[in-house]
Amino acid sequence: MILYNYLAVGALAFALILLSRSHRAMNAFTVLHSLAYLALGAFALASGTHGFEAGNSYFYLDRLSLYEALVAALLFCFASVYSNGYVESLMEARELNRKNLKIFYMAFSLLLTTTTLAFFSDSLALFWIFAELTTVFSAVLVAILSARENIDAALKYIFIASGAMLFAFIGLIFLFKLSGEVPGCGGGTLNWTVLMANAGSLSPKMLTASFVFIFIGFAAKSGIVPFHTWLPDAHSKAPSAVSAILSGVLLNVGTYGILRMYALVRQTEAGPLVSGFLIAFGLLTVAVAVLNMLRQKNMKMLIAFSSVEHMGIILLGIGAGSPLALFWTLYYVLAHSLTKASLFFSAGILHRQYESNLAGDMRDVLQLQPLAGWGFIVGSVAIVGLPPFPIFSAKLSILLEAARLPYGGILVFAVLVFLVLASAAFARFLLEAFTRRSSGSVSNGLSEEPLQPYHVRLGMKVPIAVMLCLVLVLGVYCPPFLEKLLNGIVQELGYI
Amino acid sequence: MISPLLTDPLFLEGAIKILFVFVLVTAALVISARNLASLLTTYTIQSLLLALIAGLLYLIEGSPVLLSIAALTFVSKVLLIPFFINIVEEKVKIRRDMKFNYLEPTSSLMVSIALVLLAYVFLSGFFALDRLFFFGAVIGLSLTLMGMLVMFSRRKVITKVLGYLTMENGVLLFGIFVTELPFIIEVLIIIDLIILVLLTTILAVGIDSTIEEYHQRLLKLKIWSGREYL
Repeated sequence: MILYNYLAVGALAFALILLSRSHRAMNAFTVLHSLAYLALGAFALASGTHGFEAGNSYFYLDRLSLYEALVAALLFCFASVYSNGYVESLMEARELNRKNLKIFYMAFSLLLTTTTLAFFSDSLALFWIFAELTTVFSAVLVAILSARENIDAALKYIFIASGAMLFAFIGLIFLFKLSGEVPGCGGGTLNWTVLMANAGSLSPKMLTASFVFIFIGFAAKSGIVPFHTWLPDAHSKAPSAVSAILSGVLLNVGTYGILRMYALVRQTEAGPLVSGFLIAFGLLTVAVAVLNMLRQKNMKMLIAFSSVEHMGIILLGIGAGSPLALFWTLYYVLAHSLTKASLFFSAGILHRQYESNLAGDMRDVLQLQPLAGWGFIVGSVAIVGLPPFPIFSAKLSILLEAARLPYGGILVFAVLVFLVLASAAFARFLLEAFTRRSSGSVSNGLSEEPLQPYHVRLGMKVPIAVMLCLVLVLGVYCPPFLEKLLNGIVQELGYI
Repeated sequence: MISPLLTDPLFLEGAIKILFVFVLVTAALVISARNLASLLTTYTIQSLLLALIAGLLYLIEGSPVLLSIAALTFVSKVLLIPFFINIVEEKVKIRRDMKFNYLEPTSSLMVSIALVLLAYVFLSGFFALDRLFFFGAVIGLSLTLMGMLVMFSRRKVITKVLGYLTMENGVLLFGIFVTELPFIIEVLIIIDLIILVLLTTILAVGIDSTIEEYHQRLLKLKIWSGREYL
């Protein structure tokens, strides 16, 4: 029945935003919406398996879907707190038209609702449709500034992601046809739970074909190379509060779909083949992303390509296929979402300060914006996976598991080389952008005007500080309830 | 006069096969046409062909879902979506799309012949269907791939939208010949399609129109300076 509560809260939040007149009210309803989703998710988890009753045959809740939905709600909560000050300053700078404010918050709220419903879909067709809707609403948020390159980025995003999702639908048709040949599936079904129960009797060859098609769609959604080309544009052109959501939440929708499909395939003879397939794409993704990161002078492009890199690692973690690898992949998802969103938030403040994302335009960063500057430095250290941050332990464990695969040694070595290069890309950017001082420097014969510090509202600072603290805590201490939850997921997906 | 023909499966199968040929012709036209109005007409005819195919298949199979699909396709893709795109085309005041990326129409057509063959070879490895159904699946998959080609090789957003719609038609065709999906899924896909078309065409007004307003606004406000725009 909990599903109806989610729906009711989503509808109520949407209606209240529609009716409210002031920015403050719209923002407050968005924050409340995400808080309510957090509370509902926590309640469902706390009340054990009887909290998982969806009350509808198309939907289904388990620990994995609740975990993903909770991560999404947490990120939305931070992003909506951050939006209050951030969006206000976008409007002051006349970059965002006040007329579009309501559309922004409506799309924001609809995005949270559709993302959550996507995670709760039992029928894969329904999941497909909700995933499509998340593309639509997030594209609205990318285009909201209505500058030409924003619209360009949004359209590129829609065409690539939705076009690839049509291939995923062909994969679903395959799957439906295939399941019709199994007696337990009642003449064909796309319900994941039924498929999971009958996975052993599905034909491995057809299942692999179906997986490949479905993979194309979800890989495009999560920015896996070669379907990643929309991602750097959309993530870097969107307002920073939106970029955080795109990287921290929407990419997870794609990897969630891949993980669900992989759990099906893993039970058949096609498992090792598909594992190899995922690992190959994971490695390719890491390689292409890192090589692009090395030449970035644009801060948000750098962070966006880093998201592509991390999706590659997550794909490796899924492909490794062992229970331990899955556990750490799920941990990785949480750590990446929090760290990446905090980086985008810091980048958003720096963009307000310099009206540019380019390293060359930044000077006196730590004097003008100490919090955003240090936030970005700490975030960078965390995102490249240095200890004591959680990405370090998760990455290490995933790579250790990957090392046990055939040719694992070579694979891990290659990934490590790329990870070193990724750290170099961040270090190079930080050195270039954060060490430049304006005092007395004369460029092109003109002395630079001293910059006035941009006044950062408290609501923009708090999320960065809280998220980085959370990340630090997760790096040194895995709370028992989280450990229990992740172990539960590993069991539910049939790994143990 | 006609009614005995409508119950003769051989005649119906023959008619469907002829319609398959027409569908491929429309796909080739979408790839090569330069005039936006004729592109839209081609898409409308293609959707009408699909509705007819679903209708004829209903007469063979007798499954009511097929009849509902035919009706739904007719209402949404022959009437509603073309009507809306027509309004947008009038708004953006462009008549022709002459710009191509990567591939010119002639080479696109050569590639699409290869794609049809690819779809044939690929699917023959997986399905042991009746001839008619197998051909339906091949034509569906080819149509999807050709729609993708349009999205790749055209620059104007409106043409890309028509490419996406062609892809979707291909998926529909594939779906009705390979298996019988629950009707609710078909309805949801159409809703998704309509939302997507609405959004992309509204955004297209900003991109395809000859109005320079967007670019000027950008310069004036220093919005999102990225490397390409300095």
